[in-house]
Amino acid sequence: MIQAVVADDEVLARQKLRQLLRDEPEIEIVGECASANETVELVRLTKPALLFLDIRMPGMDGFDVVGAIASESVPMPAIVFTTAYDQYALRAFEVHAVDYLLKPFTGERLSSAIQRVRERLAAGENSALPNGKARDGSGYTTRIVFKSRGRILFLPVSEIRWIGAEENYVRLSTERETHLLRETMAHLEERLDPQTFLRVHRSFIVNLQFVKEVRTEHDGESAVIMLDGQRIAMSRSYKSRILESLHR
Amino acid sequence: MHPAIFIPSWMALGALFALQELLNLRRWGYDFSTAIEFESWGLEYLILGTLSWLMWRFLHPFILKANVARIITRGLPLSIAFGALKEMIWVLFFPNVPLDRPHMPYWTRFEFHWKAQFIGNMIVFWCAFFLFRGIDYYQRFRDKEKAAAQLEVQLANATLAALRMQLNPHFLFNAMNSISSLMRTDVDAADNMLEQLSSLLRITLERGNVQLIPLRDEMEFIEVYLSMQDQRYSGRVKRDIFIDSELHDALVPAMFLQPVVENAYAHGLSKIERNGELLIEAHRQVDKVNFSIINSGLGLLHSAGPATNGHGVGLANVRSRLRLHYGENCSFEMSELDPTHVRVSIVVPLQLSPETESSSITRYGAE
Repeated sequence: MIQAVVADDEVLARQKLRQLLRDEPEIEIVGECASANETVELVRLTKPALLFLDIRMPGMDGFDVVGAIASESVPMPAIVFTTAYDQYALRAFEVHAVDYLLKPFTGERLSSAIQRVRERLAAGENSALPNGKARDGSGYTTRIVFKSRGRILFLPVSEIRWIGAEENYVRLSTERETHLLRETMAHLEERLDPQTFLRVHRSFIVNLQFVKEVRTEHDGESAVIMLDGQRIAMSRSYKSRILESLHR
Repeated sequence: MHPAIFIPSWMALGALFALQELLNLRRWGYDFSTAIEFESWGLEYLILGTLSWLMWRFLHPFILKANVARIITRGLPLSIAFGALKEMIWVLFFPNVPLDRPHMPYWTRFEFHWKAQFIGNMIVFWCAFFLFRGIDYYQRFRDKEKAAAQLEVQLANATLAALRMQLNPHFLFNAMNSISSLMRTDVDAADNMLEQLSSLLRITLERGNVQLIPLRDEMEFIEVYLSMQDQRYSGRVKRDIFIDSELHDALVPAMFLQPVVENAYAHGLSKIERNGELLIEAHRQVDKVNFSIINSGLGLLHSAGPATNGHGVGLANVRSRLRLHYGENCSFEMSELDPTHVRVSIVVPLQLSPETESSSITRYGAE
């Protein structure tokens, strides 16, 4: 069971969360609150593992609440921000919030946030880490925050299947969608763990977790075949490297 | 105007005259002190410069507004006084001039110089007089021109804003009506659509009043719009989008594709039961961007005349916005590829947006 507190000054917003969370058998709501002070108090008393936190509330704002909780002697819950404003996304990312739900959000979007909460809790690390260093100390990026199609995404890099270069942009492909980001391949490759992400072509990086096989086509060209059947071009120069990684 | 402009420029003119006279004297064999030559001319033009500046400073309104009658009745005496004043001052400093005559009392010398210089002083005065008038005319002309240009820009912006407004509410209320309808039958679908509509509003609001936006932003909007349409057409439409990678940063008029896509659904894709196709492409052709939106349906004949069913409003709107932005330098064509496929082609000049990293919130984190 994951014990959760819901903090939002609007009754209907709390009601919506309560209703949607009924479909999540693992989540148990142990308290609801409508102001910042109440929230700090409730977290102190109930020590929840998860906090749904509105940013604009009477009294202090959501970030003040995080600060106040940090100064109490209780473990920091995993935080999912729920807000109508997108301008706090970077701050939320910096305080290691698990997710950032822009209102109105769907049940589906909430589920994916809870999935990430589960992963965070399973990793046994639910307190904010100082200075953003990776847990294993490697310094590789584990998640990316960006805006795509009017939404804010805190995307764990483990969900990226492949990355394609498009001039000044890169396209990140996940299970269901692709996102266009203004970024260079070289910069991105540098930030990603080479144990997982492999450059197979000048214009492609693949996530080895989602690679099915490497195939040599009739014309002698090689291609990476992803688990979902997608075929990604591979340059000769990268072939030996990827074979080596796959056989490790 | 600042006195610093007047006095040095007049004195430079004086120095030129001095130089000319000096060279002439030398050529004719006279040996003449260079210092005295420059002193006398320099002083003369220093006085002229100062007097002209005083004229500009205190008689400015008169110089600019005087009509012919007043120029004669007031300007003429003024020009005589101008010359007299100049000579009165100048004579004070050169008591020995004219050099080849016995020493003369002040007023005699003044009379001598005043007569000798009369025409020259008149010319200087009237040159300055008309120069000032000219400068003022020019400035007023420039101001007017600037104001006219500004007005033109404002007018175009207002027109564009009005055209854009026609798109949003129309589209917004249709979407709200769909949600209102879905609410009774499929709560999750309604929820989904509401989230997408919010995304669209966020994108639009964030954009503000900017008229030209990068194509990738326009496509982002189209993508959300298309996923909303997917819900209404539940998998009946297969769609493909191809955008040249180098065009992500191409500037296009905000919301110019949405009415075209909406039209493709309203008059084509909605008319067929299944296997609808929608293809959106953007290709670069040297210094142009070529957009092509192809949809399956019943062709142009069956979708009735443009004026009767609202076919025209959205597209005419796109057309006039393109015209306002690019003038003759763009094209918009609607044609039938075959009896079941309609294509809209839009060609606009290629303009790349300057790289602006600031608006992006992309950050990397490790934890």
